[in-house]
Amino acid sequence: MKRDKNLPLTETVYYILLALLEPAHGYLIIQKVEELSAGQVHMAAGTLYGAVDNLLKQKLIQPVRSEDSRRKVYVITELGREILLQDYARMRHMIEMTGMLMDQGRGGAI
Amino acid sequence: MKKYKFFTDFDREEKWLNEMARSGHQLVNKAYSYEFAEGSPEEANYRIDYRTFKNRQDFEDYRMLFEDSGWKHIAGTKSSGAQYFKQVMDQGDEDIFSDVDSKAARYKRLSEMWLSLAGCFIPLFAVLISTGAINITAFVKPKLLYFTPGLWEMSGTHFWRAFLFETPFAFFRGFGWVILPIFILVYVIFAYKAKKQYEKTQQGH
Repeated sequence: MKRDKNLPLTETVYYILLALLEPAHGYLIIQKVEELSAGQVHMAAGTLYGAVDNLLKQKLIQPVRSEDSRRKVYVITELGREILLQDYARMRHMIEMTGMLMDQGRGGAI
Repeated sequence: MKKYKFFTDFDREEKWLNEMARSGHQLVNKAYSYEFAEGSPEEANYRIDYRTFKNRQDFEDYRMLFEDSGWKHIAGTKSSGAQYFKQVMDQGDEDIFSDVDSKAARYKRLSEMWLSLAGCFIPLFAVLISTGAINITAFVKPKLLYFTPGLWEMSGTHFWRAFLFETPFAFFRGFGWVILPIFILVYVIFAYKAKKQYEKTQQGH
């Protein structure tokens, strides 16, 4: 199978897409990403704005109607969801392979 | 207080603004000049982003995101490009960027702006050449640029007075267009400098 050109996703993009499974505005995305990554990924305002701008251009996320007239709210698109799942499968495969080979190593050498 | 200064490097500009704050000058606006308000000296943290917006709503959303993250928007308009932010005391991040790629990307946008500005002047220049509005022969025969009847038959004071009177007019008639390629060149140089800065920042220095 031919791999999508968006793959593999960067850590920040992966977490943003994950955060946007539910609609959220800019600052809420920053907070959610921090929470989802257990404090590992903290994005500053300028960096998040650029990342959101790129994801909009790639049509992986889209704006949705917002109650707050001053803050735009975004949500993942169908395409975004598909890419996220493909990257999830890619990483799961890596983890499986790693686990398998490490277990083998433990059984053999040690 | 107003100050005129020109920067091609955002990092230097940020440093300068912080120094000004240290000497008691707070940035309040930036249009053609920097406008400072006199106040007590403080350790401030100014940061500059470069971005233009399609509409008011996008601009508002952008400013709200920064405000939520602890950055006060000091200066910049929807289409001015440079956006000036000041860190709200002890709140949020030290920088408006958290990775080198996004920190560098503002130089890329700046470089593209200079290039498109240069690009606007090129067709204008081309039109002036192709319609013959630019007189290349003036370089070889500058005499043709003087329209005073019988100028070259005059002599003495008469000649000099008429000649010197017309010279500025003749100059602009013949060489006024030179300003166009100069602008184009200057814009291309700025675009190149921003591009270099982009590469430098991306390498993490």
